[in-house]
Parts: sequence; structure tokens; C-alpha cells
Amino acid sequence: MLNLVLLNVDGVECRYGSIKVLENISLSVKEGDFVGILGPNGSGKTTLLKSISRTLKPYRGTILLNEADIYTLKGIEVARQMAVVPQDTSIGFSFAALDVVLMGRNPHMTRFQMEGEKDLAIARKAMQLTNTWRLAERPINELSGGEKQRVIIARALAQEPKILLLDEPMTHLDIINQLEIMDLVKNLCVKEKLIILAVFHDLNLAARYCTSAILLKNGAIFAAGGLDEVLTSENIKNVFRVNAIVKKHLVTNSLFVLPLSPQKSSPAKKCSIHLICGAGTGTALMKVLLDEGYSVTAGVLNVLDTDFETAQFLKIPVTTEAPFSPITEKTHNANLAMISKASTVVLTSVPFGFGNLQNLEAALAAVDMGIPTFAIEEVPIERRDFTQGKAQALLAELKNKGAVFVKNQNELLSLLNVSVEKLKIAKEERDRILDHLKPEETPKKTKFRGKW
Amino acid sequence: MGTDEVESTYFRRTSRWKLIIILLILALIVTIIVSLNVGYAQIPFPNILAILTKQIPLLNSFVDSSLVLPRHELIILQLRLPRIIAGVVVGAALASSGVVYQGVFKNPMADSYLLGVSSGAAVGASLSMLFGVGFSVFGLGLVQVAAFVGGVSTMFLVYNIARVGSKVPVTMLLLCGLAVNFFMYSIVALLEVIAGESLHSIVIWLMGGFSNVLWTQIWAVLPFITIGMVVAYFYVRDLNLLALGEETAQNLGVNVEKVKTRLLVFASMVAAAAVSLCGLIGFVGLMVPHITRLVIGPDHRILFPASIITGAIYLVICDAVARVIMTPFASSAELPVGIITMLAGAPFFIILLKRKKQSYSL
Repeated sequence: MLNLVLLNVDGVECRYGSIKVLENISLSVKEGDFVGILGPNGSGKTTLLKSISRTLKPYRGTILLNEADIYTLKGIEVARQMAVVPQDTSIGFSFAALDVVLMGRNPHMTRFQMEGEKDLAIARKAMQLTNTWRLAERPINELSGGEKQRVIIARALAQEPKILLLDEPMTHLDIINQLEIMDLVKNLCVKEKLIILAVFHDLNLAARYCTSAILLKNGAIFAAGGLDEVLTSENIKNVFRVNAIVKKHLVTNSLFVLPLSPQKSSPAKKCSIHLICGAGTGTALMKVLLDEGYSVTAGVLNVLDTDFETAQFLKIPVTTEAPFSPITEKTHNANLAMISKASTVVLTSVPFGFGNLQNLEAALAAVDMGIPTFAIEEVPIERRDFTQGKAQALLAELKNKGAVFVKNQNELLSLLNVSVEKLKIAKEERDRILDHLKPEETPKKTKFRGKW
Repeated sequence: MGTDEVESTYFRRTSRWKLIIILLILALIVTIIVSLNVGYAQIPFPNILAILTKQIPLLNSFVDSSLVLPRHELIILQLRLPRIIAGVVVGAALASSGVVYQGVFKNPMADSYLLGVSSGAAVGASLSMLFGVGFSVFGLGLVQVAAFVGGVSTMFLVYNIARVGSKVPVTMLLLCGLAVNFFMYSIVALLEVIAGESLHSIVIWLMGGFSNVLWTQIWAVLPFITIGMVVAYFYVRDLNLLALGEETAQNLGVNVEKVKTRLLVFASMVAAAAVSLCGLIGFVGLMVPHITRLVIGPDHRILFPASIITGAIYLVICDAVARVIMTPFASSAELPVGIITMLAGAPFFIILLKRKKQSYSL
């Protein structure tokens, strides 16, 4: 690339007193780059921004702006090229919004110069871009948090910077404001070739706007580079200690991150459950069952099916069929083999067509094998039977053979948990427990035996 | 609100500022002349104007000498004018340092005495009244010199205690100032206990006043006050930027630590010089900047000069009141001006604050 490298951070180490907060940070940013600085609380994001903005002199290392060390430059020389939008600004005295924006012109003025028409035109443009011009004469302390932050951003723009540092600039803004401001910043980055360095808490916002990112952990760079390399499930788990799904979004075509709640540490149960699902009906259940400590298998699922993708993510073993293909005899048998190893089978309220009708037969086979089988009936079979009644007939047969029908996932879970709880004792007192379970909770033909 | 309206209002601002300053200067001149008329001896305005004009070269040939009585000339030029000019100088000094302190500290409670100037000066003055009666330094009373030295050195003491490495955090300054002030005032209290005959003069000095001010005393403090104000005025726009917070000011090109140090040192010097001239006069340094800000807004480029003139006007008026208010009761007695500044100023300030409550925040 012919791009001029504008900002070079080289081996920076920062300390507060004797406490090291940043260690060996190096990065090189050129014009037109939009770099996200990511990391959990206390990982040194703001400190890094402070050292780049000439506020906190690094203990070691240099920060070069066009090959000049910013700490040997005068503050005002840096201010002509670099603007900072801080996390939170408390403004003493009720200056009018326009006055605050005009203060951004300070680096470009001599000491006793008054702001002229040019300065006012620049301030006005900045305020129009941030949609704050109508607030020009209002006292800054009477504005709402979002309006105030927009004025602060306008002030930074009035500085006409080459580099814009944003420290969690979106904290006070609602969604539409966030998007508008980020669109504006992105636009400046692309059109005016600005360097943008922004601290983000919202990984999705970062994913949507940044061209690259650095991920900090305990004051050191954990990962850096393109978003694809930095925003991965593994990195997020390592740095934020949270499981997350990272995918390309269909509509925005940018990565999106879906954090899952921190893994519950339910003790592992010696009980494996096979799910017969599809079309997303098993997705939530997979996660829940895993959280509860069950081991889970699933099948038959078509590759690319939502449930298949979830299973892939959760590393659940699956019997698969090719995309958009009916279940073949071979896969059906593979599925039966998987079922035979399970201690319980759960059939979700998946819609049935001729392509997956065999999954229903698999459930019947499970009952025949003597495996306790549950069927969730959230949607009545009439509304999800696309086989001219064949599925209905099979489901009725399943009911007759003694499968347990439940209304929803919660009912299933309480039955499963009760069963597991009881079955701990069952090893010694199996008969008594079976009697106890039979009356109300479970329909009469339930058989608990075999693989608990 | 039309776009052009905002812009034209904005460009009218500079001329509005000039107008404010001109009006305030006129008000100050009128106040001075009117208060020259106030006092025990009745001297009519034509005589006062004649005496004043006579002092001005070129214009003095036009003065009707019959209006200038030697006795009146003495009262006006040697008794009333020095204390009025002292009022102008001290009022301006305290108000200017108050603006600087409030700007640097972003704190509405900040005033010119915050960094120990007042208590240090009080210790210096009390000590000299107790032990050094009759001494003089360069023709000045020892009390004045001791008060100035006490004030300035206490300020440096506070500043050095508050320093953390190369930085001086404002919270540290505030708290150290508070602690040192208490310490110094307890020394003053101690001195008062053992003062005996000097007690009266110490108490009067602590309340502040302008009786018996001499021209030499005024000339002695004037350079300190003028230099301090000029230096502070140099940084008025930086004071605006500091309102956005020290880090933002830094990011906008302000050398925060340097500016802060210079502003505080010179503002303290101004305050110490004022205190050395007239003792402790409260309220001016705290309230005059607030009152001015309520009326003309927070921009230090106008607030600073306007507060200076307002402070001068305010103190001259208060001193005139102090001179005459006791006349019905005892013909020659007068109140310490510090009492008037607070008695009159506090209610006025509260009324103003109540009326503008919504838009005034610090």
C-alpha cells in the first residue's frame, strides 16, 4: 500500500505509580483505518487511549505521529491533528453548546485571536453533521446525555483532526443515535481518510464499523489484526470468559457476536439424551440440556439446518443428511444406532414432510427399544403435518406405544429432572420408585428401565 | 430558530462585550465620584470635580480656583481618594483572583483565600502587631509586609504539600488549602488569646477595612496586583477550556499543569497583596465572580475583566456605606467594610440565584 503510516505505537508500557497497566503495546495505524480497541473492564483500553492522546506519558516505548514523538511535540501541535472524545465530560459553567464546539478551534488560533467567520463556519458544519446545530444556543448542562455527547463529538470534529480517538463514545446514546454517530464517524474515516481509534464495549458495534481491532487482556495485546482474526469465539472466551456465537450477519454482512450466559456448572449427569428435531425446534433445548448437565446427541438433521448449526457450535454429535435431501435408509440406520446408545429420546414439535417422516419412525423405534421417549407438542400436529396425515398417524401410534407427551420445554425439563433425581435412588429401590412415579405425573404406560 | 440568527447573534457578541466593559467603567467612575462626596465633611460635587480636575495636567488651567479650598483638597486627596482607590484596587484584585480560582477548581466554593492566602496573611499580620509595633520596611508598615509575606508563603506551602510528582491535582489543593487554613487560623486564635492590648487591632484587621490607608501603601501593592492580573488575563481562554476538564483541555492544546500553576500562583499573589493592604475582606472574591457570571455568562474572556470592574465598584460602594452607616449613632465611628460586603452581598446574591436558578450550574 502507498498509504502513509501516520501513527505508530512502539513497545509502550504504562504504569500508574508502580502498577503496570499496559505492557509492550505496539501497533501501526494508517490513514483511513478504523481500529477498535476491545477488552474487558480494566484491560487497559482507556489507558492506551490516554497514552496515545499525550495525556499519560508511557514509562517505556514511543508513540510516533508522522515519525515525530508526540511527547516531544507541543500539546497544541498534537491537538491540531488529534481530537479526543472522552468517556464522560462534566462541564463546569453553563457554556452554550456553540461555545463548547468553538473551543475545538483553540489549537488553530493564536492566544488573543477571537473566533472568526471561518471558525464559526467549521463549528456550524460540525454541529450540522452531528445534528446539534439547533441546540447551538442552549446551555450545555441543560442538554440530555445524548445531546451533550453529540456536542462533544462536534467539538472534536471542529478541531479538524487527522486522528480521532473515541473512548466508549456511545455510552450515553440510544440505538439510533449510536448508529447515526458511528455512520458519521465511519464516513469521515472513509472520505476524509481519518484515523479512528475507538474503545468499544459493544462488540457488535465494533464488528460493524471497524476495519481492524486489537483485543487487550490484562494490559497486553491478546489478538490484533482484521476483525475475522480478532473476533473469534475462542478469543472472546479467553478474554471475556464468556461463550459467544460469532457469525457473519446475513443482512449487514458484518460479524455479529452473540454472548451466551456464562456456562452453568451443573454437575454432569450420567444420562444422554437424543434429540429428534429440525428447523430450529431443538436449538434452545440443546443449550438448556447441556447446561443441565446432560450429554446430548441429535439426528437426523440436514446439513445447514439451524439445529445442525447449533449442534456444530455446541459440539453435539449429530447424524446428518445432505442439505435439502430426504433421509436415506443409510442415515436412518445410523440414527437408530445413535438412539440405541441414548438413555432418553426427545422428539420436538418439528414440522413433518416426506423428507423427514423417517425421524418419526425413529422415535417409534426408540419406544420399541424400550428407551423412555418424550414428545413435545408445542404446535398441534395438525398444523405441522405436511404428509397428508401420515405423520399424524405415526404420532398417534407413538402415543399408544407409551411415549410421554408434554406441552413445552419446561414441562419436559421438570419431568427429566424428577426422573434423574429419583433414579439416583432407583439403583437400590427401583420398584418403589416406579410405583411412586406412575400416578399423576406420568401417563400410565411409562416404562423406566434399561439405561438410566 | 433561524440559522443566520444564531450566527449574527454570535458576531454581535464581541461588540456586546465591548459595550459591557465601557458601561462598567463609566459606572466605576460615577461610583468613585459619588463616594468622594460621602463622609463627615460636606463637600459639594462642583468642588470635588474642581479638585480632581486640578490634578490633571492640561485641564488644570480651566479650573475655577475659588472652588478649591485647601481644607477640602486635603480631605479629598489625602483621606477620601486613597481609601477609594484602595477599594478599587482591592475589589478588583479579590474579584480577579476569585474568577481564576473558580475557573481552575471548577468549584463554586472556591475564592481568593482558598490556598491559605488569608490565614497566612492573618498570622503574619497578627505576629507583627504583637511583636513588631513601630518597625517599618521601606517606609511601609511592618504589618503590611508581614501579611503579604505570610500570605504568599502559605500559598507556596499548600501548593507543595498538594503536589503529587509533577502534578498538582485540584482536589489535593482544595483539601490541603482547607487543612492549612484551619491550622493557620488556630495560630491566629492562639495569638489573640495572648495578645492583650493588641487584641483590638488584630480583630479589626481580621475584619478588614480601609481607614488610614496611605498612598505609599497603595503604590506598594499596585505592581503585584497589576502584574498578577495581566498574567491571569493572558490565560483567560485556557480557563474556558479548563471548564471542559483538565484532560480535554490538555487534548485541546492547553499545557494544563503549567497554566494551572501560573494562574494559581499569580492569583494568590494578587490576593495576598490585596489582603496586605486592607486585612481580610470576605465575600468579594467568592461572590462577585458568581454575580457577574449570572449576569453576563461564563466566558472568561469577558467574565474576567467584567468581574474586576464589578469587584472594584462593589467594594467602593460598600466602603462608602461603611463610612456613613454609623454616623447617626456616633459621629466619627465606622464599621469594618468586611461586615458590609457580607451583610449586603449575601441577600443580593441569593435573590439573583433564585431568579436564575434553572440555567445556572457549576
